[in-house]
Amino acid sequence: MIWTIARREIVTRSRSKAFIGMTAVLFVGVIAVALVQVFINSDDGPRQVTIGLVGGGAEAGETLELGNEDLDPTVEVVDTVDTGEARLQDGSIDVLFDGEALTWKGLPDFALDGYVRDSVQQAAFAQRAQDLGLSEADLAALFAPVELDEVRLDGGDDEFGVRLAAAGVAGFATFMLLQVWGSFLMMGVIEEKASKVVEILLSQVRPSTLLGGKVIGLGFLALVQMLIFVAGLVVGLLLVQDIAVPGSVWGSVPLSVLTFLLGFGFYATAYAAVGSMVSRQEDATSAQLPVMFPLLAGYFIAATSIGAPDNLAVTIGSFVPFTSPVLLPFRAAMLDVPLWQLAASLVILAASTVLMLRFAGWIYRFSILRTGSRVTWIEAWRNRRDPVL
Amino acid sequence: MRPGSESDGLRIVDLAKRYGAVVAVDGLDLSVPRGGLIGFLGPNGAGKTTTMRAVLGMVRPDRGSITWQGRPIDDDARRRTGYMPQERGLYARMKVREQVAYFGQLAGMRRRVAEARADAWIERLDLTERAGSMVQELSGGNQQRVQLAVSLVHDPELLVLDEPFAGLDPVAAETMRRIIAERAAAGVSVLFSSHQLDVVEDLCDEVVIIADGQLVASGLITDLRSASATRWLRVRWTQPVERWTPLEGVIESFDGRTAVVRLDRDADVAASIADALSAGPVSEVALEPPRLDEIFAELVGSGHLRSKRTEAGS
Repeated sequence: MIWTIARREIVTRSRSKAFIGMTAVLFVGVIAVALVQVFINSDDGPRQVTIGLVGGGAEAGETLELGNEDLDPTVEVVDTVDTGEARLQDGSIDVLFDGEALTWKGLPDFALDGYVRDSVQQAAFAQRAQDLGLSEADLAALFAPVELDEVRLDGGDDEFGVRLAAAGVAGFATFMLLQVWGSFLMMGVIEEKASKVVEILLSQVRPSTLLGGKVIGLGFLALVQMLIFVAGLVVGLLLVQDIAVPGSVWGSVPLSVLTFLLGFGFYATAYAAVGSMVSRQEDATSAQLPVMFPLLAGYFIAATSIGAPDNLAVTIGSFVPFTSPVLLPFRAAMLDVPLWQLAASLVILAASTVLMLRFAGWIYRFSILRTGSRVTWIEAWRNRRDPVL
Repeated sequence: MRPGSESDGLRIVDLAKRYGAVVAVDGLDLSVPRGGLIGFLGPNGAGKTTTMRAVLGMVRPDRGSITWQGRPIDDDARRRTGYMPQERGLYARMKVREQVAYFGQLAGMRRRVAEARADAWIERLDLTERAGSMVQELSGGNQQRVQLAVSLVHDPELLVLDEPFAGLDPVAAETMRRIIAERAAAGVSVLFSSHQLDVVEDLCDEVVIIADGQLVASGLITDLRSASATRWLRVRWTQPVERWTPLEGVIESFDGRTAVVRLDRDADVAASIADALSAGPVSEVALEPPRLDEIFAELVGSGHLRSKRTEAGS
C-alpha cells in the first residue's frame, strides 16, 4: 500500500512543470559548472596578442616580442598613430604603443598592460646599463631575482577551492532541497486535508502508511535532484588537476547523500506535521516557521563560516540534529573531521530522525482530520495518546 | 461463520465516544446484516458521522465493539468497505480514471484489475467521456459520480455512505438510489445516513434513529409507523362544509372540503368518521399511520422538520 501511495506521488509530481523545470535547471547548471571547470583546467598555452608599435617605441620592439607564459605577442609596426588607432578600431591589434602612451580601444587588458609596461621598463634598463658601461653579466647580477620562501600557518591549503566546491554542494544543495521538498510535502498534506480526500484515504490505509508513502515518494524525487548535484561535484573533482583532492572531500560525497536522506526523513516529516495542522494553504506560511527556522540557521552558520570553518558554531551545529544535515557535510568537506565525530554526529541524526518520525506521526495522526481552526503544537502533543484516529 | 447467524454483517455494540466534554456517541447498538439496507437517521450532531468514522477506523472508540462477520473489524475488513464521507473529497488535479483506479489499488487490487473495475464503473456512471479529465474540470454532479465510483471500485462488501444524496440533482439521485438498491440486492451490507427521509422511506425497509449519541428507535419502518402514537384521519366531503370540529384529536388543516385530523392511536375512529358524516356527505376517508419524517419529528423533536401532510394528501 505504501508503495502505491509513493508511486502516485512520484508519478503526479514528476509530471508537474515545477519539477521538470527545476530538474532541468539543475541539470543544465551542473553541466555548465562542470564545463567551466574543464575550461579553466584546460592548458591551451599562452594567449596570442598583437601589439601595434609606432616609430618612437621601436627600441622596445625586440623585448616586446619575447612574451611570457601567459602571452604570446606579435609586434606590428604601424606608420602613424592615426593608422594605429584605425587598426585598434577594427580589432587587428590589441594595443597601440608609441613610446609614450598605451592606447586601448576601450578598457585596458590588464595582463597585456602589465606585460607591455614591464617590457618597456626592461628595455629602458638595458639601454641605461649600456650607457653606464655595464656588461651583460653585471646587468644579470643586478637583476638576479631574490628568492623568497613562503610559509603558511594553515599548512598550505591549496585545496581550499576544492573543499569549497564540495561544501557548497553538501551544504547548499542539502539546505535548498530540504527546504523545497519539505514545502512540497507540506503542501501535498494540506491539499489532501483541505480537499477532504484524506478521509477516504484514511478509510483504506493507516495514517502512518499514508504519510510514509508520501515521504518515500517525494524523498525519491528529492534524492534524484541531490544525486544530480553530487554527480556534478564528482565530475568536477575528477577534472581537478594540479591539486590532490583530499580524502575527506571524497568522503564528504557519500556522507552528504547519507545526511541528506536522514535529514529528509527528519525535516520532511516535520513539514508534513505542520501541513496536517492547518486547513488552508494560506495558513501554511506562518505555521512552517518553527520548522524552517532551524534549517535556515544551519545554512546561515555555514554561509558565514566559509572563510573560517573551524569555529564553535559549526562544530556544535554539526552535532545538533536540527542543523547537522547541512553542517555535518559542510564541515566534513571543509575540514578533516575525526572519524569518531562523524560517526557520533550520524548516530545522533539517525536517532533524532527516528524520534521525529514518531513525533511527527503523532501530530499528523491527531491533526489530519481536525477541521476548522489551526491545531496548536501543544494541543496536538497533549492529545497524542488519544487521537481522532 | 454459518450464513444467517447473528454475527453476520456489521454489528456495533455499546459504542461510546466523547471529545473532551462533548459526548458524541453514548452506548449505541446497531447492526447491518448481509444484504441489509439500513437508513441511519438523526439530527445534526447526533453522532452519525462519529459512528461511521468509528466503523472505518478513523475514530478510536472509548468503549464498545464493532465486528464484521463476527470478528472485530480490522484493516482487512476495512479494505472491503466502501466509504463516502459527508464532506466529499477527491484529488482535484488527478484524472478521473487514474483516481478511481488509484483508490482500487489502495484497497489492495492489482493495478490492471483496478483499472478494469474503474472503467466498468465509469461506464456505468456515464463518465466515459470524462475519464481523461481532471476532476476539477467536472461539474459538481459529475464529481459526485466519481465519488461514488471511488467508494465502489473495489467491490466492497460493506458500504458506509454519509449523506449520499446530499447535493445530488434528481437524475444523479435516481442513479444513486438504483445503485444502492442493486448493491444491497447483491448481498452488500449498506449503512447510509440521510436527511431526505422520503428517499430513505422509499429505499430501505429498516432504519436506525439516534439523537444525542443514543439510540431512539430502530427496526422496520412499517413497525415504527404502526407503533407510532399518532394516526392521520383525512376526510373529504362532496360539497364544501362550513365548519367542522372533530370529536377527538387536533385539526391539522381544513379548507372547507378536506380536513386532516391528528388522532391518538387509541382514539375511537368510527365515532370520528360518524361525526364527519354528520357534517355532510363524504366522498373519501383515509386513516394512515404517520410517515417516516413525522415519526422522526415525533421521536427527536420537530425542530427542523415540519409536517407536510396537508400538501402530501392522499
